[in-house]
Amino acid sequence: MSEKIDFDFFGDGMRIFMDYIHRQFKKNPDYMPHPLIRAFECAIQGAEKAKIGERFMGVSQNGTPTNVCNPFIVVLEKTDSGVGVKEIRNIKVDKTVPIDVMLIIFRLQILLDRIEGDCVTPAQMVDALNAVIPGNKFYALGDRWKEARDEFKRLLEAGKIYIPKDSKLIDGLTSITYNMTWEEYPNNVRALIGSSIAQAGNLPSGTVIITSPTNSKIEKYKVFDSATEFLLGKSSEYLKIRGNQEKDSKNP
Amino acid sequence: MAVTTKGINNILAEYFDLIDSYFGSIKHHLGQEEDSHIDLAIHMARYPLVSDLIVDAINDIDDQINAFWQKNLKTVAEYIQQQDSLKCLYSGDISPVILENFVKRSAFYIDSVILADPIYNLTLFQKQIILDRKYYLQKLIRHVFNIWKLKELALLDTPQKVVLILPINLQLVNQESRNRLIIAADQNLAAYVGRILDVKLDSGEACLDYLEKETTADGLFRQFKHLELLPHMFSSQESFQKFLADFSNTGKFAKFKEKESVGWDFGIYLRSQFIRVQEHKYFCEKLIAEPIYDYELPWFFFNYEMGGVDMDAAIATALQSEKFNWISNVPLSAIAVMRAENKLEYMRGVLRKGITDLKAKNDKDLLKVGEQVEANLKDAFAKQESEIGALQKQVNNIMRKEIPITSAGFLAGFIPPPYGNVVSLLFAGRDIRKSLATRADLKTAIGEKKGNFLNLLLKSYERKD
Repeated sequence: MSEKIDFDFFGDGMRIFMDYIHRQFKKNPDYMPHPLIRAFECAIQGAEKAKIGERFMGVSQNGTPTNVCNPFIVVLEKTDSGVGVKEIRNIKVDKTVPIDVMLIIFRLQILLDRIEGDCVTPAQMVDALNAVIPGNKFYALGDRWKEARDEFKRLLEAGKIYIPKDSKLIDGLTSITYNMTWEEYPNNVRALIGSSIAQAGNLPSGTVIITSPTNSKIEKYKVFDSATEFLLGKSSEYLKIRGNQEKDSKNP
Repeated sequence: MAVTTKGINNILAEYFDLIDSYFGSIKHHLGQEEDSHIDLAIHMARYPLVSDLIVDAINDIDDQINAFWQKNLKTVAEYIQQQDSLKCLYSGDISPVILENFVKRSAFYIDSVILADPIYNLTLFQKQIILDRKYYLQKLIRHVFNIWKLKELALLDTPQKVVLILPINLQLVNQESRNRLIIAADQNLAAYVGRILDVKLDSGEACLDYLEKETTADGLFRQFKHLELLPHMFSSQESFQKFLADFSNTGKFAKFKEKESVGWDFGIYLRSQFIRVQEHKYFCEKLIAEPIYDYELPWFFFNYEMGGVDMDAAIATALQSEKFNWISNVPLSAIAVMRAENKLEYMRGVLRKGITDLKAKNDKDLLKVGEQVEANLKDAFAKQESEIGALQKQVNNIMRKEIPITSAGFLAGFIPPPYGNVVSLLFAGRDIRKSLATRADLKTAIGEKKGNFLNLLLKSYERKD
């Protein structure tokens, strides 16, 4: 056996993903890389003409100027030997992106690229998230919404669900009828009722239930927003999704 | 229009570019050791998070390699068929353990080594049956970098390509022929198992059903009635058990592990060997090539089917045996030197000496071939050493005897001055110049002899212990 190979999580991960992007460009010149990579390229362009010690920032996102989605900034510093990465940040959750999350984002991009078009179904979203985030934490409610609805009714009647009187949910809940389709439920009500399946379906604690109707289309960039929220945002504090990966990787 | 070597080189360059586009990002981790591809594969498959990223990122390599061969298969196959030279088709496992050594040993005897594209077989067929994606990644990286190390040699501009790569798989054979080959394999399997167990089995299926009943390696071994019909590795209970344990272990990662029975595993292994024999025979015929192996078991089953291989296949396979491990020390550049010196035919003559009209039917025959080849090489080395020794002696004579005597004659004043001085000076000067020129020529000859492929081979042989 030769000497142990030094793992370089950031360098290797970046090189592997950049090779992947090059191959995508060969197949499709209009291929749009992930905003993290676009922000990286912007920063590199700036750093090329910079003096040693100067810093450059690249910013990119998927949405519009008024609807910011999947936004990233990359800060690079010109050094003697090239450039050093000072910061990779997701602006939406306003957190530094650790290497393990960066690698998860790369994998998510690759899996979503395999699905044609700009949107995915809830089931596809859940499959992709479960494939890249260990623990099988995501569950698509799909056609089990009626089960969730009945369980919610039972829990509500048993006084096990507390809803503040001034909550906007009250209006939503009072607007639904027994014959309404799941698509007709307000979003916030779907989220509330859908989560009842955890009890009815014996799902493990901490499972994230995606309550979007089966045939709905979710923009791919929203899947990234969900992933970063679950991995870095407030949700991550409750769900503890990243517990295991942090032990495996080094920070930049 | 005939396919040119340049055209084949362009195709091979494209093949290596394709590999580079998928694995170039990790090639800087590849060490200098001969087994560094194995280490790299193990390390990469164990690389937390990054290994998953690689598996996802290279997921479409099967489509790309398939598209590549869809475009180029016919051209490469036609080129191989056109070559009026000694070609050998490898048919061991996916690729030899250390492909570089395999090719080195082969290239001293045969014109072209034809290798089944390991990436094609792994990504298009094995991927489907391998259950563990990290195990798949490990296998893929190992074989990718095994072949990557041959890039320079594969692209070498020689009249006969040293290395040729081609997809070889039963799935490439048309349905009718494939069915015929599988039926033949199953019939041969039933006949073979029937003979070693002394039972009557009339089909491959009956054979598997019979073997499935045996659940322990000991019990299975006790059922063997004709040990002489088994490969050497199966002829002792201990080695047979070890083989079955290893094979069963590999099965944990693949979908073929359908039943929890040692007998079933053994049957599946034998069936795969008999199918492989049919596949190899088919492709050897199509490509007008000889079979070559680097591993005893597949060679055994091929021989069993064919009743022995001919001289060229026997010598090429004998060169892969353990006694020629020292050839691994030969630099790949020596093969380039040999081809540039156009000495392959000479080398073949050296190795064939005393081996005529032979049919190597079993392990013993192959052992004899190996011994003869080794003796032939030793003779050639002895001759080479003696030629270099004789040249060196002449140089030493010029250095130590002829020049000092001529000079001494002049200095001692054997020819009376003043006339003699001039003459002596002229003659002595001319002698010295002549001697120096001769010495220079001899040194060049020694240099050439020392730099030629045979001497590179000799040096590796001397380092073997």
